[in-house]
Amino acid sequence: MTVTSAQSRPLGGARQPGFGSVLASEWTKLRSVRSTWIIIVLTITLSIGFSALIALVQGVTFDDWGPQEQAVFDPLINSTSGLLFGLILLIVLGVISVTSEYSSGTIRTTFIATPKRLRVLAAKTLIVGLLGIIIAAIIMPAMIFVSQMIFGAYGMETVSAGDEGVMRLILSFIFAGGLIYTLIPLAIGFILRGAASAITLSIGLFFLPWMLAPLLPNWVQENIIRFLPDLAMDSLGGIIAADSAMYLSQTPAIVTILAWLVGSVAVAAFLLKRRDA
Amino acid sequence: MIKTQGLTKKYGSTLAVDQLTFEVQPGIVTGFLGPNGAGKSTTMRMVLGLDNPTEGTVTVNGKSYRDLAAPMQEVGALLEASAVHGGRSAWYHLLWQAQAAGIPKHRVDDVLEMLGLSEVAGKKVGGFSLGMHQRLGIASALLGDPPVLLFDEPVNGLDPEGIRWVRALFKRFADEGRTIFVSSHLMSEMEQTADHVLVIGRGKLIADMPVAEITQRSAQSHVKVLSPAADQLAPLLVAAGADVSTGARNELMVTGIDATVIGETAASNGIVLHELSPRRASLEAAFMELTQDAVEYRADGNAPNLTDIQETARELTSERSA
Repeated sequence: MTVTSAQSRPLGGARQPGFGSVLASEWTKLRSVRSTWIIIVLTITLSIGFSALIALVQGVTFDDWGPQEQAVFDPLINSTSGLLFGLILLIVLGVISVTSEYSSGTIRTTFIATPKRLRVLAAKTLIVGLLGIIIAAIIMPAMIFVSQMIFGAYGMETVSAGDEGVMRLILSFIFAGGLIYTLIPLAIGFILRGAASAITLSIGLFFLPWMLAPLLPNWVQENIIRFLPDLAMDSLGGIIAADSAMYLSQTPAIVTILAWLVGSVAVAAFLLKRRDA
Repeated sequence: MIKTQGLTKKYGSTLAVDQLTFEVQPGIVTGFLGPNGAGKSTTMRMVLGLDNPTEGTVTVNGKSYRDLAAPMQEVGALLEASAVHGGRSAWYHLLWQAQAAGIPKHRVDDVLEMLGLSEVAGKKVGGFSLGMHQRLGIASALLGDPPVLLFDEPVNGLDPEGIRWVRALFKRFADEGRTIFVSSHLMSEMEQTADHVLVIGRGKLIADMPVAEITQRSAQSHVKVLSPAADQLAPLLVAAGADVSTGARNELMVTGIDATVIGETAASNGIVLHELSPRRASLEAAFMELTQDAVEYRADGNAPNLTDIQETARELTSERSA
């Protein structure tokens, strides 16, 4: 391969870049690497696949369950068993949309092209958040639909879209879930700048409280745990019972979720402006 | 034009860049010379608004980089050629930059062609060689066809043909009136590339002058004259304004006047010459000498101290022989 002689021609069509330019650029970055598509496909297939698998296991063994177990069987909650995989992968998507730039060093190229760093943060937030909502909008209804078909085939109790709580769960997981599971990790990615630490912290933030909550006194559940992002989403979606110490009613739950989103992105913005790239 | 004023960068208690004040002029290639770790990359990052100066200011065309309306159309930069996402193709790597910078898409194909990368445009850059990475980095810098260009160690990893091409490119860009700022830790490289050099060592500016001036001012730049009548010629040359020292038998080392004057003086006096050869000091030799002077003349508090200069000179020369 040889280097040809340089011919620079006048740069026709160049214009002053604006926020739209940054949006287009960030979308190109995300879609031009295979890892993005692998994560999206895995998020969708693992969530739906595992939900179907667990539903199938429940269907096959249903006759062996005790009468009491059969009576308390909740066909809505039990159709989202695979969601855990999807949520972990949404965290990964949010984190690496940022940390892959720090590990490869392209973050400097990014800020050379767009020295107004908050535009980069805003564009990434918008694109990754929207992607989170779209993915959640695919997996939530699909998981529930597929599981209901399986439950129905085994003669178990089922729910349909019109039943109480179904749309509430779907909508709150699409909007609150699609946003908090991508954008809080994205902000943590900007704060910590490393994939491993950012994913660990995000998973800790979202999943640890669930494991620890039963061990903690009521006071902690009421004053701390229920204000964590995942718990607020579960209150909003109706997964946490209204009589639980960890329950938040609708408006405070929405405010809590928005505060987490705005707060984490604001910390990222503050550090991004202040630190050397 | 790039202009710094008292530019300083501290990392904790380490002073990476120390009170740099200089101007990089358009129309010439300015070399930024210093050993590894002297603060060249840190300075370039501050020019590009990536690192915040601890003190001082730096402007490009009169503005801070972050205030430029279309930065990549005003300044092109190659910092680390390896700073690419290995899973992305060369074409997409340039496309996202073009989009962010408001540069039309056709320009991506143009710069790929200029750098001889058209055939690998669709290949993932993770599989690129060092030289291909370097060319892709240069392609990024040229995307916006900018009047100011910064290159941090641009010839690293290029083959001899690529190096020649890059040098010619710099010269041509300079001739077009652009500002070209090129760093290197290789003195020999700067000698062939730059018109003007800024030398830094341990974050301090040690020299800021045209390459020609450095080598001309050197006592080692002289005209060697061999003549059987050297004894007769010497006083005539001194009368013409030269400094003459005698070397081996029949040999004169002449400074202060050029070969033409020596030849004419000899001819008009009927003196036979056996050799008349201008000897230019290498930048390296000139620099060593210059730093010796600097040691004597810059004994005040602000100037680089003896150790810094000697250290820089030693590192720059050892780099070359390494």
